[in-house]
Amino acid sequence: MKKVNVTICTGTTCYLMGAANLLTLDEALDPCTREQVEFSGSHCLGLCTSEEHGKAPFVKVDGHVIADATLMKVQDKIREILDRGE
Amino acid sequence: MNLCNRNFDRKDAGTGILKPLFKELEFHQVRKHSQHTAGDAFMVHKDSKNNRLLTVLSDGLGSGVKANILANMTARMAIKFAEADTDFVHYAKIIMNSLPVCQVRKIAYATFTVVDCRPDGSVQIVEQGNPPFILLRDGESVEIPWKEYGGSLGDYRKLRVYRFNAQPEDRIIFFSDGVTEAGMGAAATPLGWRNKGCADFIRNVVSNDPMVSARVLAQHVVRGALQNEPTRQACDDITCGVLYFRTPRCTLLASGPPFSKQRDPDYAHIIHSFEGTKIISGGTSADIVARELGVGIKTDLFSFRGSGLPPISHMEGIDLVTEGILTLTETLNLLEGKPSPAQKNAATLMNELLLNSDVIHILVGTQINQAHQDPSLPMELEIRRSLMRRIATTLEERYLKEVKLEFI
Repeated sequence: MKKVNVTICTGTTCYLMGAANLLTLDEALDPCTREQVEFSGSHCLGLCTSEEHGKAPFVKVDGHVIADATLMKVQDKIREILDRGE
Repeated sequence: MNLCNRNFDRKDAGTGILKPLFKELEFHQVRKHSQHTAGDAFMVHKDSKNNRLLTVLSDGLGSGVKANILANMTARMAIKFAEADTDFVHYAKIIMNSLPVCQVRKIAYATFTVVDCRPDGSVQIVEQGNPPFILLRDGESVEIPWKEYGGSLGDYRKLRVYRFNAQPEDRIIFFSDGVTEAGMGAAATPLGWRNKGCADFIRNVVSNDPMVSARVLAQHVVRGALQNEPTRQACDDITCGVLYFRTPRCTLLASGPPFSKQRDPDYAHIIHSFEGTKIISGGTSADIVARELGVGIKTDLFSFRGSGLPPISHMEGIDLVTEGILTLTETLNLLEGKPSPAQKNAATLMNELLLNSDVIHILVGTQINQAHQDPSLPMELEIRRSLMRRIATTLEERYLKEVKLEFI
C-alpha cells in the first residue's frame, strides 16, 4: 500500500509557531498508522511569506497544505486519507 | 581560550605554494578540589605588531588564594619582562632571584615556564621548577638540548633555556606538576603519573587523532591526569597548555539569501568553491545552494528533537546545514560563554566547528525575510546582519580567530 507522505516545515517561523511540537508526531500516531506514514522534513516550504496560505506552522500531507498545523489536525488528515484509500 | 596567530610560512611540497602556519594556543585547568581558586596562572601576550606570541604558566607554592597571588605575580612579571624585546634569560634570572624560597619547605614560592614564539618560527622556552615540556614531532616526543643557569642565591634552583625552530605540526605541551604528580601514592602510580606516563598518554591521543586541536589535547591531558587520582579529584592544581603549529583550518559560514536574486549563482559558487569546512545556516539559503548546484537536501527530522532548536539537514558537499536565526542566536550564546547543553543540537555542532577553525569566512546574505517581521511571532528575532556581526566580533575578540565578514 502506498504510504502517506507527511512533510513538516522546520523553518524559523514554523518552528517558533509550533512545529517544535509537531516533531513528536511519529510518537503520537498509533503503531498501525505510523507504519503507513512516510515522514520528511523541510527547511522551508516557502508558505509563510504569503498570507494566502494561512498561518504557520505548515505541514503537507500528501500534497495538502495544513496551515496552523497541530498534532490533532495532521493526525485527522492522515486518517482521512488512509480511510479514503481503504 | 584560543589563540591563533599567523606564523611563519612553509612551502607545500606538492605545489611549492607558501602556506602560512598558525599557532594555536590553548590551556585547560582544574583547581585543587578543596579550593575555590586555582593556584596556577596561565597568561598570554600576543604582540600584533611583530606577531610574537608569549605565554607563561606559573605554579604558586601551595594552593588557593596564596598560590594564586604568587603565580599571577610571577606570570605577570615574566610577561612584562618578556615583552621587552631583549634577552629574556637575563630577566628570568632576576625573577628567579627575586622569588624567595619558603623557609619551612625549602622550595621556591613559584615556578614558571615561559614560551616565546617569534614570527620566524624560532621558539625559546625558559623553565624554572616546572616539569619539562614535551615537544611532539611526527608523533614522537623529541629531546631538545638545554642550557642551565644557576641562581645567585646559591640554592637548588636552576633555569633551563631551550631554543629550537618549530616545524609544521609540532605540538608543545607544558604543564604544572599537578599533571606529573597526579596519582602519587596510589598503587598503580606510586610516584605519580610522571613525565613519561604523560608523554605516553599524549602520544597515544595524537596517534588516535592526528588532527587533534590544542584545545582538545589540553582537555585530554587534564582528564588523563585526573584519571590517575584514586578519587578522580584533583589533589593539586592541574594546568596544561598546548601550543600547536598547524596549517590553518578554514571555515565558511554562509547565512541568508543574497539581496538580489541575480547573485544566487555567485552565492552558490562562493560556497561550492570554498576550500575548508562549509556551514550553511538558513533554510532559504540552503535551498538556493541546492538548486544552483543541483544537489538534494534531506532534513534529519527526529535526531535532535527536544533540543530546543530546529533540526539539521544533510547536503552533499556541505558539512553542516542548519536553520538560520534561532540556531545562530544560540551559537552566539554558546560562544559568549553559555554552558553547552547535555544534548547536542544544531548550535553545539556549529559552535564546535567554529572553535576548531582558525580562519572563518562569514558570508551574509542581506535579503530580509518578510515572514520574520510578523509581529505575532512569539520571540524577538534578530536582524541577521547584526547577529552575524556580533558572531564575527566574538570570534575575533574572544577567540582571536581571523574573521572575514562579507555581505552579498
